[in-house]
Amino acid sequence: MSATAVIHEQKHVPQPRQVGKPGGFLHRTNFTTAVISGIVLAAIFYFITGAIVQKVTGGGQQNNLSLPDGLQQQITMMYIGWIIGFMAGIGAFAGPIRWMLGHDLTHADAEYMAGKDMGRKKFWKYTTDHKVVGIQYLIVALILFGLGGLLAMLIRTELGVTWAEVFNPNFYNSLIGTHGIVMIIAMIIAVTGPLGNFIVPIMCGARDMAFPRLNALSLWLLVAAIPPLVSNLLMGGIRDGWTVYQPLADQAPVGMIGYQITIIVFAFSTGIASVNLITTVVTMRARGMTWSRVPIFVYGVVGSSIMGLIWFPMFQYSQILALSDRVLQTSFYTPASGGSVWLYENLFWLLGHPEVYVIVIPATAALLEIMPVFLRKPLFSYKLAIAGIFGIVGLSAVVWVHHMYMTGWAPSSNYPFMMSTEMISIPFSFLLLVMLGTMWRGKPWMKLPMMAVYAVIWNKVIGGITGVYLSDTPVDQYMHGSMFVVAHFHFMLMGAGLFGAMGAIAYWFPKMTNRYLDELVASIGFWTAFVGFQITFFAMFVAGLQGMPRRVLQFDQAFNMANWISTVGAYVIGIGMLIFLYAMITSWRSGKLAPGNPWGAHTLEAQTETPVPHENFPVLPVVTSDPYDFGVPDPYEMLDDAELEANEGVSKVGAS
Amino acid sequence: MSTVDERTPEAEEPESPTNRPPGMHLATRWMERPYARRIILLTVIISAVIIALTFVMVAFMNLSGGPASDIQGEIEKTMYVLTFTSAPLMGFTLAILTYSWWGGWGKVKGPEEPTEEGPAIRTNGVAVVAWITVCSLLAAFLVIWGLVELATITASSYGSVPANQQPNAAKAIDINVTGQQWVWSFQYPDQGKITSSELVVPINVPLYFNVTSLDVVHSFWVVEAGVKIDANPGAITNTGFTPNKLGTFNIRCAELCGLHHAYMETNLRVVTQEQFDSWVREMGGAKTS
Repeated sequence: MSATAVIHEQKHVPQPRQVGKPGGFLHRTNFTTAVISGIVLAAIFYFITGAIVQKVTGGGQQNNLSLPDGLQQQITMMYIGWIIGFMAGIGAFAGPIRWMLGHDLTHADAEYMAGKDMGRKKFWKYTTDHKVVGIQYLIVALILFGLGGLLAMLIRTELGVTWAEVFNPNFYNSLIGTHGIVMIIAMIIAVTGPLGNFIVPIMCGARDMAFPRLNALSLWLLVAAIPPLVSNLLMGGIRDGWTVYQPLADQAPVGMIGYQITIIVFAFSTGIASVNLITTVVTMRARGMTWSRVPIFVYGVVGSSIMGLIWFPMFQYSQILALSDRVLQTSFYTPASGGSVWLYENLFWLLGHPEVYVIVIPATAALLEIMPVFLRKPLFSYKLAIAGIFGIVGLSAVVWVHHMYMTGWAPSSNYPFMMSTEMISIPFSFLLLVMLGTMWRGKPWMKLPMMAVYAVIWNKVIGGITGVYLSDTPVDQYMHGSMFVVAHFHFMLMGAGLFGAMGAIAYWFPKMTNRYLDELVASIGFWTAFVGFQITFFAMFVAGLQGMPRRVLQFDQAFNMANWISTVGAYVIGIGMLIFLYAMITSWRSGKLAPGNPWGAHTLEAQTETPVPHENFPVLPVVTSDPYDFGVPDPYEMLDDAELEANEGVSKVGAS
Repeated sequence: MSTVDERTPEAEEPESPTNRPPGMHLATRWMERPYARRIILLTVIISAVIIALTFVMVAFMNLSGGPASDIQGEIEKTMYVLTFTSAPLMGFTLAILTYSWWGGWGKVKGPEEPTEEGPAIRTNGVAVVAWITVCSLLAAFLVIWGLVELATITASSYGSVPANQQPNAAKAIDINVTGQQWVWSFQYPDQGKITSSELVVPINVPLYFNVTSLDVVHSFWVVEAGVKIDANPGAITNTGFTPNKLGTFNIRCAELCGLHHAYMETNLRVVTQEQFDSWVREMGGAKTS
């Protein structure tokens, strides 16, 4: 993208009075103070609630879960105390409190908060710079993937050891639930977190996100939400799968409260991040970057944010009502007292399905961004790609009932929802055509990001065809709740989402860390994981076809062979992912230094230097074309034109 | 002005070059490009492999003795139709993928940036319109097929098929299915309210299930009969099928229902009418029908 230097006159902005030194209270806060203050407030809330309950009930009573009376309320308040304490300790309330005191932030304060000249300390603080937040998101995502992957290995171990119970059923069921929700959260932030925060503002030619402090808030809310989720394993676990269907979830021990608090807080985090990204893209694009010149990755992130913003509250409501059922003895979901289990299922899947697209769309869009660069060809049918993305965003709103075909909630609704579900393959086919058209007659530069494109298209084709079976109600009547479904959604979420994210991270790694990702080691890891992935989940398809239900720990002998193969494959994935992680860590520490534009891309983020300077661009860029102006005139077309001209010449002679 | 041109020599080929080559001519020209035939060949091969794989898939589904009802038969038929419909598109996609991957259009290796650029194909109206049309038509076909099939299996599972069209025109047997942590129980209201932990049914008689749960959500899955419906607390859901194969088949719970969800399974035993009658007497029930 050709960027012309235009120097804007710096307007004089009247500054508020500086109170104290720049940064003020934030000098004293970091991750450690946050943890300490979180634990302290959690303990205070726990004991105060205990005392109040003791006072009110007189103590000693047992409820139907044979838990001490008031324990649920105490645990709930403990988690709330942790969240508030953590956010206070990290300095999230410093800004609002200063406003209330009438001490507006000055430019110097803002620069301190953005981590100017702070060194590595800024990664542990409430830093507003989008580049720091992007790196923080990447670290959080990696930690979550590590945890979720470890749980996956444990699950596969149990399923591979077909002759004994390795774990007791309670722990096994908790493994499944925790693996599910941890991986879902990790996948949701995997692309829009690190790359959406780090790359998108630079791609748009902005100096930062639209709301830098909200950006820090969304990151630290996410960090605060993780301990309640993980701690459930110590508190009886969430034994109900990641869907935590009611009323089974109501029977679960107090670990379930951790899940509910996490989802409620995570939904705030996602909503805030989505608003921030959308506002940034809508209002802060560089001069000349019209809507038909916006890179497709930005469209992908915006589409994903729109879905997150609209549908995450549904998930949040479902958990608020569930928590209220548990702690306040309401009965939204208790059939015995007039509640409905279908209410929960509807609220849950209203997010539960769009969430798949929240994950897959940005990963796909990142690959669409990568393809023109590595093929040195323009993106094929840019506008069709945009239509595809927004087609999926639109249709994602009306397909959730396909998760409920077999619930008996409303059998006649299966007809329209089957129709809408199968219709969503049409916008998906748009994106597929864009990929194929870009690949058509291109000469690929065989680097890891481009390899990821091939791997992801393969996985998407497999995930897509099996999706066709599942979208069809009659076939789903056999497949629903079987291992076939598990294999299918792993092909979509992991095969398309995670492998796409790996490609995207390999592509932007030099920009984010200043160093190349070690091509050889990372490729070995990537392909090992890919091969393991195919083994694991093809075997799982077979188990599902044979009729193995999901979320079981023991099963019919008929499924043994498929499960053994699947477990071996899972270990191969684990080894591959560890190699990839090793490549990331070593390259980050001591990889080859990368130039500003390592791949020859035309997008704005490739035009600024690496490491990206404090406010991204010394001079704000002006955009004069779209970022896909690669390529030379098509030789075949020139041939055709030449012939046409020759023919016309002949006919002209003939007519005269 | 004369319409006959005397000065130009007569063309040797019957279709002489014209101002605007017709579609057929363009397609022929396109097929002359070196990659076109190879991609078409790859598409055909891969589609054939996919279609062959469908038979393997269905064979896996039938490994435990199915199909034991018309519904499962319809499901397997639908699997074939869905795969045959999607196979060409899938084959085409994978053909391009493979061709590009193997370097059919050339490839650049090594750390050096590529020096030459590809053809600047921004879009191609014919390709876009053709792709959208084909995809939409295929999707529309899948939708229509699915709707018709859904109506068919709904008719045979809810017992809405008129009595004279049912196999043997037999009267349906009502069975109350109750799920609880972690067992299934089956009550036969018309056979003297006998209760069994195993589902024993006569062959070729329509069955009609009233499914409910005492505690949490379960899912009643008769694997080889292709029937599945959730058992919800506080609600009754209905399904049904007509068994058409003697033997023992699997019933499993398909919705996580707590600690011993994995062990919540039982058998479907399809027997002859005489065996069923004697089983009912053994269980202490009376044959009312």
